[in-house]
Amino acid sequence: MSRTLAIFKRELLASFESPVAYVTIGLFVLVQAGLFFYMGYPIGPAPLPSLWAGGQASLTVLFTWLPLLLAFLVPALTMGTWSEERSTGTEELLLTHPVLIREVVLGKFLASWILVCLLVTLSIMPVAWTVSGLGDLDWATVWCGLGGAFLLGAGYVAVAQLVSALSSHQLLAFLLGAMVLGMLWVLRLLVEVLPVSLASLVDYACPSTHFLDSAARGVLDLRDAVYFALLVVFGLTLNALVVEARRWR
Amino acid sequence: MIQAEGLVKHYGNVRAVEGVSFEVGRGEIVGFLGPNGAGKSTTMRMLTGYLHPDQGRVHIAGHEMASDGQKARASLGYLPESTPLYRDMRVDRYLQFVGELRGLNRAQRKDALERVFEATDLAGYTERKIGTLSKGYRQRVGLAQALISDPDVLILDEPTSGLDPAEIVRVRDRIVALAETKTILLSTHVLPEVEEVCRRVIILAGGRIVADGSLLELSAGREECLLVTFVAPEQEALAACADLPGVLNCSVSSRGLNGRLRLQLDVRERFDVAERLGALATDKAWPLLELRHDVPTLERVFLDYTRSGSQEEKP
Repeated sequence: MSRTLAIFKRELLASFESPVAYVTIGLFVLVQAGLFFYMGYPIGPAPLPSLWAGGQASLTVLFTWLPLLLAFLVPALTMGTWSEERSTGTEELLLTHPVLIREVVLGKFLASWILVCLLVTLSIMPVAWTVSGLGDLDWATVWCGLGGAFLLGAGYVAVAQLVSALSSHQLLAFLLGAMVLGMLWVLRLLVEVLPVSLASLVDYACPSTHFLDSAARGVLDLRDAVYFALLVVFGLTLNALVVEARRWR
Repeated sequence: MIQAEGLVKHYGNVRAVEGVSFEVGRGEIVGFLGPNGAGKSTTMRMLTGYLHPDQGRVHIAGHEMASDGQKARASLGYLPESTPLYRDMRVDRYLQFVGELRGLNRAQRKDALERVFEATDLAGYTERKIGTLSKGYRQRVGLAQALISDPDVLILDEPTSGLDPAEIVRVRDRIVALAETKTILLSTHVLPEVEEVCRRVIILAGGRIVADGSLLELSAGREECLLVTFVAPEQEALAACADLPGVLNCSVSSRGLNGRLRLQLDVRERFDVAERLGALATDKAWPLLELRHDVPTLERVFLDYTRSGSQEEKP
């Protein structure tokens, strides 16, 4: 556990020593606020108006954007976790210390997840305070949505970190990660045109379903937490296997 | 302390290491030599547990790498080729991090950091970012991280490559100082380094060990070189020396003032040849000014072995 903590601290520190984290967080906060106040959510069968146009004291627009925006931002934050270790050779030194691969994988995951939670909180809370000053905001929905966003973030980090372990370069890790997460997001739009039996399966497989249909609307559902927990375990286990397999290459 | 048994590693169709076995005992310092692509780094990566061998086993300080990897890795400090470090990190924070990974508690880390800062002359640079350091100082940080948990075994892959001459001497001195208490396997292709530092040499070529022994053992039984200087007519002396039994080759090394002539003789059984040379000089009344044995350099031994090693490779 102490070694996992050491990895966690190093990764988190490293995130803040490079400008990537600051730029990503700043950009995300600004874009989210702009979309929320001025643009609304125009995608899909049920578009939502912006705050000024709709005049409702609710953060639904903000939460609805999250699965798509995080599909790009999470890979931006996690792209280096393994690919940079590999391209600079630091992986060799790291893995020849008496650590277990699963400790490294978990430490890296926790660091990226905390960063994503911070990013989500920074983008949601100022907006929530602003809206609560303008009208009667349901804070229970906000907390529920925030919790759901953390779970969504955990699932995304696990997937993006796995992609980083499979890539030899940061840029490749980012592009592949965004592509995979983007495709998972697009799947939900396809549900409309798929046959019913397949549609429900595809819908269930999409991470965004387990956020948008429940937590984002203020509904707590344990099954969603289980889904994300399984996604994380699956992603991290594969991640450890990929790193281990490279030592046999 | 280091045991390699029948290590084999193939990358696809490339046979990187082909059955390497050796042992390094406690307190030994062994040079691991070979041309580029001989399999040195691959072997070291297997010894340190970074790569799993296709076949064979590694023991470090009695712990088997495959079944007891954590303990085996805890017993060794490793400096990989090109010293890969986190360039964005400060030196002290990086070494703290390595200390944590190696299971040292806060108090132990504090002592360990002080010890390695002193051992590697890093004081004054501890708060610098690693990426801003010169190659020589980065190499010191690399050595410091290998030493932080005071392991019994050190595996150093080309520790002096890319350093300036003054820094090479410093690193070499440090390694010699470490050799008093540690078991060290050191790879290099800088031959003088091995001659100065190592008592034993393992030469690798084409993924196999082609020689293993002390420098003296390795040069024994091979051609030796005698240098003889006398005052003599050149052609006659050359012909006479070349005719002596045991002389394989004879050439003029240099010509001095007043008819002084230095010849270089490649010989077998140098004492016999030396005796015959003395007799020859007396017979011909050529004043013998000097007769000495030119100790074969490691370079020569190395070239001999790697040449024969790569010849064996060919079908």
